[in-house]
Amino acid sequence: MQEHLPPGITIVKSENLEEWLMDIRVLDNNPLYQNEVYRLKFTFSSKYPIEPPEVQFIQCPATSETPRPIPIHPHIYSNGIICLDLLSSAGWSPVQTVESVCMSIQSMLTANTRNERPQGDNEFVSYNRRRPRDINFFYDDDNV
Amino acid sequence: MEPPNNLFELPDSTDWLSTPLSNLAPLDSALRCQVCKDFFDTPVITSCSHTFCSLCIRRCLSAEGKCPTCRGNDQVMKLRRNWGVQEVVDAFVAARPTVLELARRVTAGDQDRMEGEESGEGPVKKKRKVDAPETVDGEGVGEERNGRQTRSRNKRVDMPVPTAEVIEDSQDEEYVPEDGLVACPICNRRMKNEAVFQHLDTCTGSHTPSKQASFGSLQPMSRTANSKPDHPPERLPAINYSIEKDGSLRKKLQNLGIPDWGPKPLLQRRHTEWVNLWNANCDSEKPKSKRELLRELDIWERTQGGSASMFSAGSSNTVMKKDFDKAAWSTSNDDEYKRLIANARKGNQKFVRSADTLPESQSASLSNKPERTANLEQSAERPVTQDVQKPGELPADALRINGVDREAHQSQEITNSQTLDTPSG
Repeated sequence: MQEHLPPGITIVKSENLEEWLMDIRVLDNNPLYQNEVYRLKFTFSSKYPIEPPEVQFIQCPATSETPRPIPIHPHIYSNGIICLDLLSSAGWSPVQTVESVCMSIQSMLTANTRNERPQGDNEFVSYNRRRPRDINFFYDDDNV
Repeated sequence: MEPPNNLFELPDSTDWLSTPLSNLAPLDSALRCQVCKDFFDTPVITSCSHTFCSLCIRRCLSAEGKCPTCRGNDQVMKLRRNWGVQEVVDAFVAARPTVLELARRVTAGDQDRMEGEESGEGPVKKKRKVDAPETVDGEGVGEERNGRQTRSRNKRVDMPVPTAEVIEDSQDEEYVPEDGLVACPICNRRMKNEAVFQHLDTCTGSHTPSKQASFGSLQPMSRTANSKPDHPPERLPAINYSIEKDGSLRKKLQNLGIPDWGPKPLLQRRHTEWVNLWNANCDSEKPKSKRELLRELDIWERTQGGSASMFSAGSSNTVMKKDFDKAAWSTSNDDEYKRLIANARKGNQKFVRSADTLPESQSASLSNKPERTANLEQSAERPVTQDVQKPGELPADALRINGVDREAHQSQEITNSQTLDTPSG
């Protein structure tokens, strides 16, 4: 699989079946995401693929060898948590793969034009100690 | 589905991409279940015409009642076996290693030749790669292929031998004239040993076989003809857990011969998994023994069931809470816990002063998680006692109880599914 991923998606770490790291970048020239690579962390439960993996962006400091910021997006909190329907229990389907999730997130970024964080990002990031799967998002915005 | 020992030896559809047969990758991938990504195991087709492994789709449907591919509503009862796909998969899987090896050798040979010659331009190289499988016959690689063909021809020549053995076996039970001829296992006509195999290709079986034994022993060769077992295992009905009392559900698990410890949500999940394992096995062409299924249930128990982790055992209905962050939870609720513990200590002291004779109820109310402690105790004890109860005769015994039990539930199941039908449709 490693050698045959779609453009813009690479495996960083996939040694075990609990946690994978993937790097993605946006392919077109959306100015919000130009020349940046973003790192996704996939955490798989024992019930994968019946249940969705937990997927979030993780940050590597700009000073590190591989700087990985959290992309700006109205559905991506600054702590890396992604509000995406297909990652919720309701929107998930077992036919999804790491590859297909990466592609969905790629296109979610590509399609975005708004240089902003979700509403209430600050509060959410400061109070949230929960893991993404325990959060009940409201998928109120179908435009992005 | 289960973690493989070596992740990198897994056959994958992308194996073909680096060979001249890269156009086999879509075929390889089309013969795989989209849920488990492995080759179809006992494929079944949904009412929306999507094919999955029987066990995979059963698990999906019991989790959310939707087809994973198109998200359309579907029910386990509407699944139908897909024998055609099974045959294609079996044939492909059998041929795959040889074809892949051959394709890889062609690639390697191609590269060797490229190195020997003066390297051509890109497009030419590519063209040769594509042409390779057709044009290699006269070359070195072709010889290997011929060798392979001879080997497979050998296999075919070998095949009449087991047939002859089968007929020799039957001599014990039935008079066979010593004419140096053998009987066709289908129509029973007698002919020369060498002629049997050719005859089998065209035999219409018009002379009915006189003996089941010789017919049965041929099954592996003509598996489409008569592959159904004489007594197909009966399917288990689903249970409407909401109308089921704790005790009666436990009893049902007992009757099925599966572990019956744990709180009701765990019993439900275990029962669901067992029904899925069992019914998928009923779909299978080569059903496994109940013992084997119990082993699979035990694997489930250790990875996803009651022995997996304390938290996933307790909360099964709330999908979102499953891999609940213990550390974060205890940090955020630290104050509350401290307060409760302090209260409990106060209460405890009072009790100890007033009455020393209530140790049991006391300790139960003290521990924060009384139910869980109880479960753990049960989990330690129950399976052991059960093993002692039924060491050997477990399958037959449980099956019989099943049969009786099931009839009682059959009508109930139908009404349940009907009531389920109405709101969704």
